[in-house]
Amino acid sequence: MDRSLKTRLDARLGALLREPVYQRNDETEIRVDPGNVPEVLTILHDAVDLRFEILADLAGVDTGEVMQVVYHLWSPKSSDWLRVIADGLSREDPRAPSATFLWTGAEWLEREAYDMFGIIFEGNRDLRRIFMPADYTSFPLRKDFLLPDDAARSPGAGVRHVERSQAPATVADDPSAGIRRAPVS
Amino acid sequence: MPERPASARRRPAAPTAQTADSTASSAAAPDSAQYASLDDVSSAQYASLDDPRVMLDRDIGADLFEPIPPFPTTTERESEFYSLRDGEMFLNLGPHHPATHGVLRLVMKLSGEQIVDVDPVLGYLHRGVEKICENSDYYHVIDQVDPLEYLSSLFQEWAAVLPFEKLMDVQVPRRAEYIRVLTGELLRISSHTLFQGFLALDLGGLAPILYSFIERDEIVEMLASLTGARMLFNYYRIGGVNGDLNHEFMSRLGDWMSRALKQTEANATLLNGNEIFARRTRGVGVLDRDTALRYGVTGGNLRASGVPFDVRRAHPYSIYPELEFNIPTREEGDSLARYLIRLDEIRESIRIIDQCLHNMPDGPIMAKLPRLLRPRPGRAWAAVESPRGMLGTYAISDGSDQPFRFRIHDPSLLNLEVASTLLPGNLLADTMAIVSSLDPVMGGIDK
Repeated sequence: MDRSLKTRLDARLGALLREPVYQRNDETEIRVDPGNVPEVLTILHDAVDLRFEILADLAGVDTGEVMQVVYHLWSPKSSDWLRVIADGLSREDPRAPSATFLWTGAEWLEREAYDMFGIIFEGNRDLRRIFMPADYTSFPLRKDFLLPDDAARSPGAGVRHVERSQAPATVADDPSAGIRRAPVS
Repeated sequence: MPERPASARRRPAAPTAQTADSTASSAAAPDSAQYASLDDVSSAQYASLDDPRVMLDRDIGADLFEPIPPFPTTTERESEFYSLRDGEMFLNLGPHHPATHGVLRLVMKLSGEQIVDVDPVLGYLHRGVEKICENSDYYHVIDQVDPLEYLSSLFQEWAAVLPFEKLMDVQVPRRAEYIRVLTGELLRISSHTLFQGFLALDLGGLAPILYSFIERDEIVEMLASLTGARMLFNYYRIGGVNGDLNHEFMSRLGDWMSRALKQTEANATLLNGNEIFARRTRGVGVLDRDTALRYGVTGGNLRASGVPFDVRRAHPYSIYPELEFNIPTREEGDSLARYLIRLDEIRESIRIIDQCLHNMPDGPIMAKLPRLLRPRPGRAWAAVESPRGMLGTYAISDGSDQPFRFRIHDPSLLNLEVASTLLPGNLLADTMAIVSSLDPVMGGIDK
C-alpha cells in the first residue's frame, strides 16, 4: 500500500473527489463525477509527481442502480494500481466523456463498454458496436439482460440453489426479477 | 453523408426473356414458391461477379462479400472510412483467412497496392464469457476463461485467480507459487516459439513452423502429464494449483531443459540469417514509443519500441521479485524488433525455469479454503504478464458465491488496435508481416 500516493492525490485532486481516497492491498481507489473525468485524467497523466501514463483498463460496470466507468492506471512513481471510478451514470441514459484525447487506444475499450452497457462516450469518434452485430439492440452485460435459455438458471450453471429460500421468480411474473442480486457500490 | 454505396453498387436485375418463364414456373413448382417467400428476388437473375456471362438466380456474392456494411454509417470515423475517393477501392480480407490468427476480418481501403486505411471487424468469436462468469461460481470461472486465449491458457487462469485471492485474502503456499511460475514460463516459451513459426509462415516460409511445433508439442505433452490436458489445462486453483509435480513431468522437463537453449538458438538461426525474412520485416510497421503508449500497447510490442514495461517487474506478483531475469528492450519498433524481442524473452524464461527448479521449496500446494467460496463484498484488480502483454482482471464481489462483475482485459485487443495506424502507407503484401508481428490471438480479443 502506497501511503504517499494518498497524500499526493489529495493535494492534486482534493476538490474533485467524491469520496475520500480508499486503499487496500496494492490498489488505490478514487471516485469522481463523470463530468470531471477529463480534468482528473489529465492531472493524473501529466502531473510530475503522479505520471499515470499507462491506461491498464477501461471497463463499464452496472451496479444495479447506477452505471460506472472504471479506469485502471499504472505509474512508475507509485507501487499501487490506481482505480478511478466515474460514478453515478444514470441507467436510463448513461453518458461519460471519452478518454481518447489522452489515450487513443481507449477508443476500442469505449466501443466495448458501449456495446455491452450502452454507455455513450462523448468525444469518441467511432462509437459503434465492436463485438455484437451492428443491428443488435440490447446491451448484454446490463444486469436486467437475462440469458435467454434456462441453462443460466440451472444448478449446473452455479446459480445459488443452496440458499434460495423461495421458488425462483420469473421475468414474466415480476419484471424486477431481472436484476438478480442486491446492488453493490 | 454520401449516398449509401451498397445500394448504388447493387447489380440491377438483368431483363431477359427467361424472366417471364421463371415467374410462371415458380408459381407452379412448390420449391420455387418456398424460395420466393425466403427472398423476393427469385424471379430476377443476376450476372455473376466473377463472370458476367454466368447468370445466377440470386445475387449471392454481392451481399455476402461486400465490404460495405448493409446499413447506414453511424459514426464520423465510419462514414469517413466508407467513402471512396478517386482511384481507391475496398478489399476485404477474412474473416476466414489462414493468416489472420483466428477469425479476423480487415476491410482495407487501397490506392493501387498501397493501403490507405483499415477497418478491423471483430466479434466473430464473441462468446460472452464475462456474462457467463457472472452466472458461474468462483471455481467455474477458471475453466470459463481457459479457452479465451488458447495458446497461453494458463495465464488466463492465473489472471482469473489473482483478484479472487486478493478478495479472500488467501495466502498462496510458496511451492504453489513456484509451480505457477514454472508452468507459466514453460507456456510462454511455447507461445513465443509458435509466434516465430507463424510469423515466418505468414511471410511464406514453411520450415520454421515445423520446428516450432516440435518444441511446442514437447512442452504441451509435458504439461499434459502434469495437468491432464494439452491445451485447456484448468490447473490453477484459487489458493494454489491442482496437482503436485510428478515424476513424468520432471523427467520430461529435465530432458527438454538439457537441450532447450541450444535448440532455441538453432531454431533462431533458421530465420535470423535469412535475408528475405530480414528484408521483409526490417523497417516495416515501425511503432514509435509515444504511439505505443497512447494506444495502450503492452508486452513484447511495447518493449520492442523502447519502453521497459513488464508487469513482472513494473508491478510484481507471485515470486517474481525473488527471481533474476532481465527485461529485454529494443529501440527500432519494427516487425523485426518485435520478433527478436520474443527470442530474448525465451532465453530469459529458460533462466527463470532454471531458478525455479533449483529453489523449489517443499510444502503444501493448496491453501485451506471452504468448499463454497463467498468473498467479502469489494473490488479487486490484478494483472499478469501474459506472452502478449498485460492481462488484467477486475472482479466485483457482492458477498455471494458468484462474481457480481468479472472484467477481462486482454492485451491483444489494444495490440491489434494499433495495426490501423501501422498499416496505412504500407503495401498490401506487408499486411500480414505487420499484423502477425503484433501477435494477436482472436480468441482473447473477442472474449
